[in-house]
Amino acid sequence: MENTSDIRQLNEKIHQASAFVDLLNLELSKVIVGQRYMVERLLIGLLAGGHVLLEGVPGLAKTLSIKSLSSAINAKFSRIQFTPDLLPADVVGTMIYNQQKNEFVVRRGPIFANFILADEINRAPAKVQSALLEAMQERQITIGDTTFKLDDPFLVLATQNPIEQEGTYMLPEAQVDRFMLKVTIGYPTKEEELHIIRQNLNPQATATINPVVEPSDIITARKLVREVYMDEKIERYILDIVFATRNPEDYKLQKLKPLISYGGSPRASISLALAAKAYAFTKRRGYVIPEDVRSICFDVMRHRVGLTYEAEAENVTSENILSEILNAVEVP
Amino acid sequence: MVKPIIIKRLIFFFLLGFVLAPFISSAQQVDVKAQADTDRIRLGEQVRLRLSASMPPQGMNVIFPQIPDSFGHFEVVRRSPLDTTAEGNIKLLGQTIVLTSFDSGRWDIPALRFDLVSAGNITDSAFTGPLSIDVNTVDVDTTKAFKPIKAVRTVGWSFWDYWLYFAIGITVLLVAIGLIVYFHSRPKKAVPVPVVAVVPPYEIALQQLQRLKSEKVWQQGDIKQYYTRLTDILRNYFEQQFNIPALEQTSEELLQHIKPVTILNQQRDKLRGLLSLADLAKFAKMTPSPEEHEGAMQHAQEIVEWTKPAVEKAAAAEAGKEEIKQPVK
Repeated sequence: MENTSDIRQLNEKIHQASAFVDLLNLELSKVIVGQRYMVERLLIGLLAGGHVLLEGVPGLAKTLSIKSLSSAINAKFSRIQFTPDLLPADVVGTMIYNQQKNEFVVRRGPIFANFILADEINRAPAKVQSALLEAMQERQITIGDTTFKLDDPFLVLATQNPIEQEGTYMLPEAQVDRFMLKVTIGYPTKEEELHIIRQNLNPQATATINPVVEPSDIITARKLVREVYMDEKIERYILDIVFATRNPEDYKLQKLKPLISYGGSPRASISLALAAKAYAFTKRRGYVIPEDVRSICFDVMRHRVGLTYEAEAENVTSENILSEILNAVEVP
Repeated sequence: MVKPIIIKRLIFFFLLGFVLAPFISSAQQVDVKAQADTDRIRLGEQVRLRLSASMPPQGMNVIFPQIPDSFGHFEVVRRSPLDTTAEGNIKLLGQTIVLTSFDSGRWDIPALRFDLVSAGNITDSAFTGPLSIDVNTVDVDTTKAFKPIKAVRTVGWSFWDYWLYFAIGITVLLVAIGLIVYFHSRPKKAVPVPVVAVVPPYEIALQQLQRLKSEKVWQQGDIKQYYTRLTDILRNYFEQQFNIPALEQTSEELLQHIKPVTILNQQRDKLRGLLSLADLAKFAKMTPSPEEHEGAMQHAQEIVEWTKPAVEKAAAAEAGKEEIKQPVK
């Protein structure tokens, strides 16, 4: 089989550069049982430079996963528990008066880290959410007159509890759109949970995560992810999926029209393309195939498809709509 | 002896009578009357006043009195036109005036003057006799309490108020039913059914593969086009023959979905190799060798050929079932 030299070189390069993915997975599996799906999505978010919104009931190893990931990458981890009385300064930092020096000095907030776990983000009021989401978008913070660039890599992992909505501040659509992925986490299987019990109750079990990757490797990998080859057919496939959420009737899906209040934005197309490239990278490929797009599609699109009251009344979820769309759009 | 003064007076009266005779006779020939149909009404009730004049048919005419719209305590409600009738040698003229009054008491209708006209000149007048009408109030029993105003009374529904609408509605309905019956019962023209030869999907697939081969697409350098068409032919075949939604599935999903179709699953490895090669050519800008191009085509044809007997067998079984269902003659 012949190959154009560029793509062969790229494929080789990516094959070598993505070797750390297996290492990372191996290291994380020492403490995290199951949840491969979540770990894989965290890695995609990390490689694609997009933030991840995790939705799942408490106790599903969300915190453990991101903490372990930061340990394995030798990166700085910070956790912010969002509460109704949290203030923006508690997240980004503030100016404190130093009596000895007789001046105001900057005290950096917990957001100055590589990995941020914004736990239960919907418990804090809108101004705090807004401060965090602005930092996510700009990747810089201004305290007083000074602007600080945030560390690279910078990944925010926000969690939401889907069952307890009382006393919460729902993230507005415009802000949810800033998360590249929204991952819903399910319970582990019976076998996995048995393993979790044994691992936690065993007094000899002292598994620790060792750093196997440096943040600089992640930055290099991010550059390579953007170089992953995406054929025009795949680009058009992505556009078909996103456009089907906006104009389902153009794809013989008239029945979805009354269920969708708004479809995916151009940011959705960008995120889907980038996430598909990152997915291909984790599979150690230098090119994207339709499987990559389909695998990541739900996580990229589920929070970008708005449902109408009619859909909510009929218990139709955005996942149902995306399934219909994926089953209707022709694969290249 | 008759005194001369008496004789003079007799002559004077004789001459006076002679001069006035025509006038007296004319007045006596016209008879005018005013008659009310009642002499007692309640407030607001109406009384019909009949004015009439009788006279000889020729040479004499009468001008009826001009009664204003209200006079005294009376108001004129309406006036009838003057009517003329004849009774023997007498001409009768009449007019009815409807009056009402809203003042209680005893009121007089004064004597009304009729002007007599002879040879175009008013020669005399005749007067009717005066009439009195009692206008009474309604008796009110003051010992009883006041009663509220009565509610608005609804007028009862009557078919005859709406008969025209009913008639129009029924007519329209009958016309519509008539049209429906007419269009349904009229003999329909037989639509010629185009006879389409049913070509089995595997034959279509084999024909398309043969055409792709003969078009020498990869030989012309269009590798991506070659593999796109090759996989599309197979996907269409799977979709039509095995009801697998292959066009909307990725290569991996397709390989998963052929598992229940045993005959197709037997060609799984061949299909996997072909789809992987096609994915590389389509999405990774890779150029397989000419042997690989030929091999892909051969594999595609083999997959279709392999599944062909099973398809034919299934079709034959289906046809057999149909024959059994036919009654034995």
